[in-house]
Amino acid sequence: MTNEREPILELRNINKSYGSVKALTDVSFKAYAGEVIGLVGDNGAGKSSLIKTISGVHNPDSGELIVDGVTRHWKSPHDSMAAGIETLYQDSGLAPDLTIGSNIFLGRELEKKGILGKLGFLDQRAMERKALEELEKVGITVPLSKRTVSQLSGGQRQAVAIGRAAMWAQHVIILDEPTNHLGARQSLEVLKVISAARDHGLCVLFISHTLPHVLEVTDRIIVLRLGRVVKDALTSDFTVESLLGTITGLNT
Amino acid sequence: MKSRSMRLIQGAAVASTLAASVFTFVGGTAAVANAASKKFTVAYVVGAASDPFFLSMKAGASAEAKKLGINLVWQGNPSVYSSATQIPIVQTLLAIKPSALVLAPTDTKALQPLVAQYIAKKIPVFNVDSGDANQSNITSWVTGNNLQGGQAAADALASAMGYAKNCTAASKCVVAIGVSSITTSTDAARLKGFAAEVAKKYPNIKALNPIVSNSQPAVATSGFKQDLAANKVSGIFAIDGTDLEGAAQAILTAGSAAKSIKVVGYDAYATTIKSMQAGKISAIISQQPALEGKDIIDAVYAKLTGKGKISHLTTLANIVLTPANCAKLCATYVYKTA
Amino acid sequence: MSTVETPVASSNEAPPPSPLKRIATYAANQQFILFLVLIGVMIFFDFHNTRFFGTSEFTNLLVDFSEAVLIAAAEMYVITSGGIDLSVGSTIAVSTVVGAYAIQYLEGHHFGEFPSLLVGTFVCAGVGGVVGTINALLITKARLVPFVATLVTLSMGEGLALVFSKGGTVGYDPAAAVWSSTGFWIFRWLTLIVLGITVILGIVLHVSRYGRYNFAIGSNPFAARAAGINVNRHVASVYVLSGVLAGLTGMIWYFNSSGGAPQNGIGNELEAIAAVVIGGVSLVGGVGRFSGIILGVAILTVVHDGLVFINVATTWNEVVVAGFIALAAVLQSLSSGSKRRT
Repeated sequence: MTNEREPILELRNINKSYGSVKALTDVSFKAYAGEVIGLVGDNGAGKSSLIKTISGVHNPDSGELIVDGVTRHWKSPHDSMAAGIETLYQDSGLAPDLTIGSNIFLGRELEKKGILGKLGFLDQRAMERKALEELEKVGITVPLSKRTVSQLSGGQRQAVAIGRAAMWAQHVIILDEPTNHLGARQSLEVLKVISAARDHGLCVLFISHTLPHVLEVTDRIIVLRLGRVVKDALTSDFTVESLLGTITGLNT
Repeated sequence: MKSRSMRLIQGAAVASTLAASVFTFVGGTAAVANAASKKFTVAYVVGAASDPFFLSMKAGASAEAKKLGINLVWQGNPSVYSSATQIPIVQTLLAIKPSALVLAPTDTKALQPLVAQYIAKKIPVFNVDSGDANQSNITSWVTGNNLQGGQAAADALASAMGYAKNCTAASKCVVAIGVSSITTSTDAARLKGFAAEVAKKYPNIKALNPIVSNSQPAVATSGFKQDLAANKVSGIFAIDGTDLEGAAQAILTAGSAAKSIKVVGYDAYATTIKSMQAGKISAIISQQPALEGKDIIDAVYAKLTGKGKISHLTTLANIVLTPANCAKLCATYVYKTA
Repeated sequence: MSTVETPVASSNEAPPPSPLKRIATYAANQQFILFLVLIGVMIFFDFHNTRFFGTSEFTNLLVDFSEAVLIAAAEMYVITSGGIDLSVGSTIAVSTVVGAYAIQYLEGHHFGEFPSLLVGTFVCAGVGGVVGTINALLITKARLVPFVATLVTLSMGEGLALVFSKGGTVGYDPAAAVWSSTGFWIFRWLTLIVLGITVILGIVLHVSRYGRYNFAIGSNPFAARAAGINVNRHVASVYVLSGVLAGLTGMIWYFNSSGGAPQNGIGNELEAIAAVVIGGVSLVGGVGRFSGIILGVAILTVVHDGLVFINVATTWNEVVVAGFIALAAVLQSLSSGSKRRT
């Protein structure tokens, strides 16, 4: 990654407390377009608080959040989505009973042209077709069909969910444990989609407990411990052992 | 399709609110009872409390109770005529230890175990209007003569249809029947009386299976409409006021062919008398609810004080009101709800 | 750019199914089977009494269908959104009583028959809307489970209908009945209006944004929220819609029984839910076709009316209906076992 460019996302001295519990302390880092950043840490290290701050679920107590050169204050997750950040939480991904196309366009439906569209009629055919095109751009091939998401395998589902985030994100996608509960082969599918999203020029924040996945797919790793950034280094600097040591605090 | 299980839930809910009201009432009575120890508290449980028939009965019973110095605890599900809703009410009232229980059972058998509990606590039990199948525990039963009423209805309907002229073995007169509840002794007796009279005197009448309305006029209407569409119906026997309302509505919407259908029905509501005067009903069979209420209170008083004679069964005749005798009788027998 | 090879991709190139297989797919379709059963039942009734396929009986069937279809549609909206509305039956009762008072008052003040009935219709819809709003507030603000919230309004509506009406039918309005019995062929004007509303409800559910959100929320409310859908607002609107439809049904019952009886509609929520189940709608939300509930209401109406029509004791009615619910449930579990995930 070339650091002469402007960062697409920058955090400066972010602090966040819940009552007397300090969740984040002076968290700062920069993230660039076209890179995958692994965000790792033990339980309670502050990963969730950090994601929620970036995606607008809550506001930091102090510090600055800069997206594409503009300082931002989110009022709701809507604001972060409008600013080009998509977040995929665990378990909140897709509506299993809707078709793939309907899911991809959920909340952003295409309406028919003319008077029917004004009345709220949806252009289902256009949505299914565009969904297919957009998913192919991030390397996911699914059939153009009336298939519902519930009929896909776990890996396919997660791939479609990430594809959805990648399709709508202008700048950043945040993936919270996207390979959880997936088998080895299915995880591989998901990791390939993440690489494709990066190749597409997006910045991917990848949160995971599965360290081999982190080491495989990321360009850079940020390690959080007790609410602080304790290490921010290229992935090539880590081995599984050294990463584990950094997370637990055995070596720094 | 009706919802039995739902009814049960609702019944329980009604009973629990009832329990609260009964208990607050008990506090009041206890004080009164201490002040004047001669005063009796009588629990009086009816079928559907908002039915004009029972409202009329309440008027008759209350007036007599007031005269004799009896406290009446008047209870009953507001509109659902069912043992499922009545049993919890009777159960709850046991707790206030009334001097006597007057009960219009909604089922000929379902209430008997509860009646036995009252007897075990030495509380005499009386039946009014409908009665338990087993009368051995019942001190006295005052009722309308529903068997006779059913017979009278058959005669009135046959005469209205012009039986001798219009009903033949080749072309029988079809009669549709509507009933609110088939588990109540009164409805069952009317049906039985009607069927017996038809079997005895009117072989050329074909009676259809009764529509069970569960006290819902719209259900009765829907059922009668089916009977009207399926058969050339000449007459309708509506076994209570709900069915009478339903029958009138079905005829009204069934078109001109239905206008000639003769209707004979139970219960002299102000509204049904009006319909009869307008020519829509041929005859109304009226009970004497106010008198039933008065007589049963007299029987209770006789039992509690030991003064006066008690007959086990008192049957009051059902009165047939027709356009011809209405001017003379209707004012007397219309159900007074005040 | 790398391409993920997924097993689904291969079915993309699968040849179109053979005609025989297509027939087999139809035959396994729950709605198709139930449709055949419905036709069979109707032929059975006609075999017993050939007046069944006559204009007067079909008029009756359509009237009874229209009394039941709007609350079934309401229940469909609520259930596919992941909730349940037990209060639709008692909302009919309370709205029919209040509407009857309104009409009685207006006609008593020389307001004219047609305007009175029109205002009465709005009053009924309004009463239903109020009940629906109470449901919506209990569910989205007080965070009650829909079952409990609507159980509250079920009891409340039933009680209030009796309190307001003092137990008896309010008003007697033969003019309403006379108007409601006019129309052409097997259609009455009232029936046609109800059928029109029904068609609109079906279209909205399946091709509009509102309907899409409804299914999405019923399928996965977290995903819907993450996708930027205002879940609370939508859920609230569904209960208000349900209340309004129940209120309008109260007016239909007023027309069909020329008065407001407080017993009207009591217990009918279970009939609506039965229609939804027979129609193959998932009770956990997210899945269902509107055509299914049309079929469900049609089956219940035909069975209910037809048994009386062929002079079977009405006490058998519920037994037969239970059989249909069982049949539908078995078909649904068979088909879901073959194609849905656990």
